[in-house]
Parts: sequence; C-alpha cells; structure tokens
Amino acid sequence: MSVALYHWEPNANSGKPMLTLAEKGVAYESRYLDLLQFDQHKPAYLAVNPDGTIPAMVHGSRVLTESTPMMEYIDDAFPGPPLRPRDAQGRWRMRWWMRFFDAYFAPSLSMIGWSIFIGPASRHRPAEEMRAAIERIPLESRRIAWRKALFNEFSAEELAESKRRVLFATAALERHLSRYPWIAGDTYSLGDINGFNLGYALPLSQPDHCNDTKTPHIMEWLRRIYERPAARETWSKGRTPMAARIKILERNP
Amino acid sequence: MLELYTSEPNTFFLKPLIALAEKHAEFTARYFDATGFEQFSDAVPAGVESALQLEHEGPLLVHDGTLVSSSFFMLEYISESLSGPSLMPANAYDAYRARAWGQYLGANLGWSVPVLGTAKYLQPHLAKLDAAWVNRCIAAIEPIERRVGWLALRDGTYTSAFVQTVRERLAAPVARVERALEAAPWLAGPSFSLADIDAYAMLRALPDLAESAVNPKVTPRIVDYLGRIAARDSTREALRVARTPHPERQFVPGTEVSRWG
Repeated sequence: MSVALYHWEPNANSGKPMLTLAEKGVAYESRYLDLLQFDQHKPAYLAVNPDGTIPAMVHGSRVLTESTPMMEYIDDAFPGPPLRPRDAQGRWRMRWWMRFFDAYFAPSLSMIGWSIFIGPASRHRPAEEMRAAIERIPLESRRIAWRKALFNEFSAEELAESKRRVLFATAALERHLSRYPWIAGDTYSLGDINGFNLGYALPLSQPDHCNDTKTPHIMEWLRRIYERPAARETWSKGRTPMAARIKILERNP
Repeated sequence: MLELYTSEPNTFFLKPLIALAEKHAEFTARYFDATGFEQFSDAVPAGVESALQLEHEGPLLVHDGTLVSSSFFMLEYISESLSGPSLMPANAYDAYRARAWGQYLGANLGWSVPVLGTAKYLQPHLAKLDAAWVNRCIAAIEPIERRVGWLALRDGTYTSAFVQTVRERLAAPVARVERALEAAPWLAGPSFSLADIDAYAMLRALPDLAESAVNPKVTPRIVDYLGRIAARDSTREALRVARTPHPERQFVPGTEVSRWG
C-alpha cells in the first residue's frame, strides 16, 4: 500500500509524521501544502481532510488526520525500528508527555509564533480577501485562530500568559530530562519526535530561557536528536527559512 | 499491588473503574471526596506528572509504585499491563481511530462536561459550605491552571449565558459521535473498546446537562449507545464504588478550555 503525506514545513504537527516515517525508513509521497497560501482550506485538500487541518496521511484507502495518534499508527503498521518503549510504564510516560506537549506547551508556543510570524507573513492581502479565506475554514476553532493571526487580535494579556506557560513548560521539561535521557525513559521514542518538533527552535526563540547555562539537558537532548540521520533528512525537506532555524543546534556552527 | 485513587464514579473517575472491571482485575479502591478537596490531602500520592496533568482532578492508578495519571492513557496502561482481554482494537487503523477519538473528545468534552456539571451541581454544593474554608482550600491549589477551574465556581463566571454558550459548543462533537454511530455500533472497530469507555464516561452526563443536545429524538444512536454500555456488567461493577445516591451528579473541574478560543 502506498503512503502519501500532506504536510507543510518540517515543524510542529507536520514534522511529527515526517520524522516518524523517516525513522522507520518508510518511503512516502510528499504532498506539500503551503499553510500561508491557505492550501489546507482549498477544495482539493478538503476532499482528503474535511477538517482542513494539516497533516493528513493516506495509507492505501485509510486516511489519518490526528498527528499524534498518526505517529503511533506509523509505528504499528510499518516494519523498522520500534519507536515506543517495550514496557507499559514507558509507553504511558511517552503518551503523558506527548499530551503535555500537544495540549499545554504547543498551543502557547504557537500563539507566540503566530503573532510574530504566521500573522505578519499572511497579512499582506486585502482585508476582504482575508475575511473570505477565513470563512472557508471548516473548524470554528481554526477560524478563530486565523482571525486572530490575520487581524492581529492577540491581546497583550494572552501573549504574556503564553510566554509564562512556555517558560513554565520549559522548566518542567528541563527537570524531566535531568531525570531521564529521553522523554519516555531510557530509549528514544515518539515522545522525542513530538517534543523535538515543538522545541527545536526554542534556543532561537527563547534565547534567554533555553540555552546551555539554564537548560543544559534540553540543549543536549535537542542536539542528540538533530544528529540523527532521520532528522537531517526530514529538515532538508523544508522550503522556507523556518526549517533552517534548526542550524542553531550545530555543535560547531 | 494495584490501587486506584478515585472519587465518585463519574466522568474521568469512571473510566478506569470500567476498564478494571472489563479486565476482572483485583485492585484496592482508595476513595476520596473530590468535591470536598480530599485529593489535596497527604493521603493521596502525587508525582511530577500527576501534579501537572491536564485533567487536574482525575483518578490516580498506582501499580507497584508507579503513578499513572491522565485518564485516556490510564485506559491504555490498564489494557497493556494487566491480564485479560485487550481493550485496544487489534487492527492498527482501529487503534489509531481509538486514539484519535480519545484526543478529539478529550479536547471537546474534557472541559465542557465538567463546566456544565459543576455549574449545575458543585457550585450550589460549595455555596452551602463555610465560605472561608472553601476559599482557603481553593487558594492553596497549585498550579494556577488547576486553581482557575475552582475559582470560576466562586466568581460568577458561570452565568446562564455562559452555560448556554458551552451547551452550544457541544453541537459539533455530539454530531460527530452520532454520525460515527450511524456507521457502526462502536467508535473504533467491530468491538467495544477503550474508546467507548472514554466516550461513555463523558457523554452519559449530557442527557441531563444538555437535554436539547442529546435526547432520543435528536441523537437516537447516542442514546442507544449509552444504554448498551450502561447495561454492561463492567459498568454496573464500576458504579458500585459510589458512596452517594447519585454519582452521575458528582462533578469537579476538568481540563481547561482551549486558550485559542
């Protein structure tokens, strides 16, 4: 059965299945969607994923649209090195941290990212065109997110709260990685793939809070993942300067 | 040694109780009253993950010293680590669907059902208690995200207009479940699975909390589905932990609403 992956840059949710497929050695047809051109809300893609969210994976006749469960599916359905711990306790820890990344850390980090990058990069269009683009978004929650980004409606209070949460989560992750070499414990897993997609640019976006002095365990963890061939291969597929941010993890820049 | 720290069998607390009964697992139930702040006593163990977990007031499974929190992943842990029938579909795609439902319903019902339930039942209960004591209990809750769910019950957040808006937000997830049940009797594959335990524990409150959204006329398949799961031996067994006459009316704050709106 063939595999096709609809994705944007190797970053956040798109990067999760990209890096997982690379780690498993699964060849896939890459179908790049430009988030900033709203490709994900166009009819061709809505026929694949009616929710209009990225990524989506098509494996034969099966369509998968939730990125974290998608990673577990890839590990279940394909041969290659296992990407989940052998013991139930390790798998539970992996899943717990993936939820913490997905539901706590990532929304706050992405709110900052959308306010300083996604919004300004998409805001050059006439207001009418932006309103029409928002109307085409199927999910109410995504319409709200795009409206905020395109019309710069993030309040100072909510951005400050997002910053507070990013620092809180960064500190929690640093403590966790001082206890364990990898997210799930002793072995590299989907939890690391998830966390890397979230955090690979933290040393660049939060240089005062994520650096070799304050968060040495996070820095070393990010560099160890960056040095994996699958990560090199995946980030080489980036088409924008966003993916190039990963160079901050070079040990000898 | 297997211990489950649990409050009344409803919402998040109900899930592992059903799963353990499906497994015919022997365990010790350590009961606390979550509406009376007993989860904050030293008698309930706490770890890094349980203190930060996003469901905030949920159950805690302690298995040979390991603390397992977060209810959907607790179901997976129970399925994988205890003997008895697997609760996760065997087929990889059905397992994906089970996890995708867990994520989707967690994001969509994990905050709304507790808001509706606490606004209707916990808020008037707290109002009858000594106000200074309640305020002291709430002020001591960490982290702040966990405290906020309780503060909302004291500061007038849950106006009738607010509650009505929350009920309206149920339309999309309820419609999605109803559509899925038109196509198949269970949410993830040909058999009952942990996806159904997860969904049932939250959906069962809605005929009471949001009658116009879930009723025999509008959502006949959900109503039938709730009836089928309620009739299972495991569900009946799970409800035996109850110490109040109406565990289905016992709610505590849950996950927070998405900050993206």
